[in-house]
Amino acid sequence: MTWAKGHPSAAPAVQGETQLALEGRWRVVVLNDPVNLMSYVVMVFKKVFGFDDATARRHMLEVHEQGRSIVWSGLREKAEAYAYTLQQWHLTAILEPDEAH
Amino acid sequence: MKRIEIKLSLPVVAPLLDVIKELGGELQKHLAAPLAIGDLDPDFHASWVDDLLAAQNEDVRVLLALFNEEFFSEGVVAIDEDNAEHVVRACAAVRLRLRTRHLQVFDEETLETGEVELGKLQEPLRKAFLCYLFLATLQELVIQHLDSSIIGG
Repeated sequence: MTWAKGHPSAAPAVQGETQLALEGRWRVVVLNDPVNLMSYVVMVFKKVFGFDDATARRHMLEVHEQGRSIVWSGLREKAEAYAYTLQQWHLTAILEPDEAH
Repeated sequence: MKRIEIKLSLPVVAPLLDVIKELGGELQKHLAAPLAIGDLDPDFHASWVDDLLAAQNEDVRVLLALFNEEFFSEGVVAIDEDNAEHVVRACAAVRLRLRTRHLQVFDEETLETGEVELGKLQEPLRKAFLCYLFLATLQELVIQHLDSSIIGG
């Protein structure tokens, strides 16, 4: 799979704007849902991000109690890859610009 | 190869397979959890959906394959490192689809706790909620009993 950036048919100016918008750091944010089990979410976090048990549980509880948790931050391409993998495990993930960087 | 065998109540679980099959059919065309990333390139979005649907369908196929001759004769399903991840993912997918199609009447707290008086529910809602609980139990058993070298690590 290719992690595309920008629309291939877009004009150069639009491509430039898109490219700029996708630069910088991005956050992968997991959103709460009432269906997936806590143990399942912990397992997915450990598997996808390599978290230890305590870190995975902390993020799971953040999702459960606050409705969302920032689970990763970095380049857009890799953020998309993580979002795709989370989607494979049926967790709802969004990407946000990381304003702190 | 580490393997667990789960003994199920045939009269309870067998009728739920129709629900799982029905939803499995719907999951051939619908992602269990819709994509929430809004700014993906449209071609890229379509490619993601196609790939995710293919993986989702394979997971559901593996889940349904658990209920084979051994299940119908002995009530036993077997989980090992070859099917464990498919099974837990498929359980999640079918449970999410159950919510979308049959369990909208329940609030989020009820879906999280699973605390419902099943005897007070009318069919087909009772069967749908029983399936929701069964898949959670199956998922939990697999996660608890297969170690991190097989799943979760």
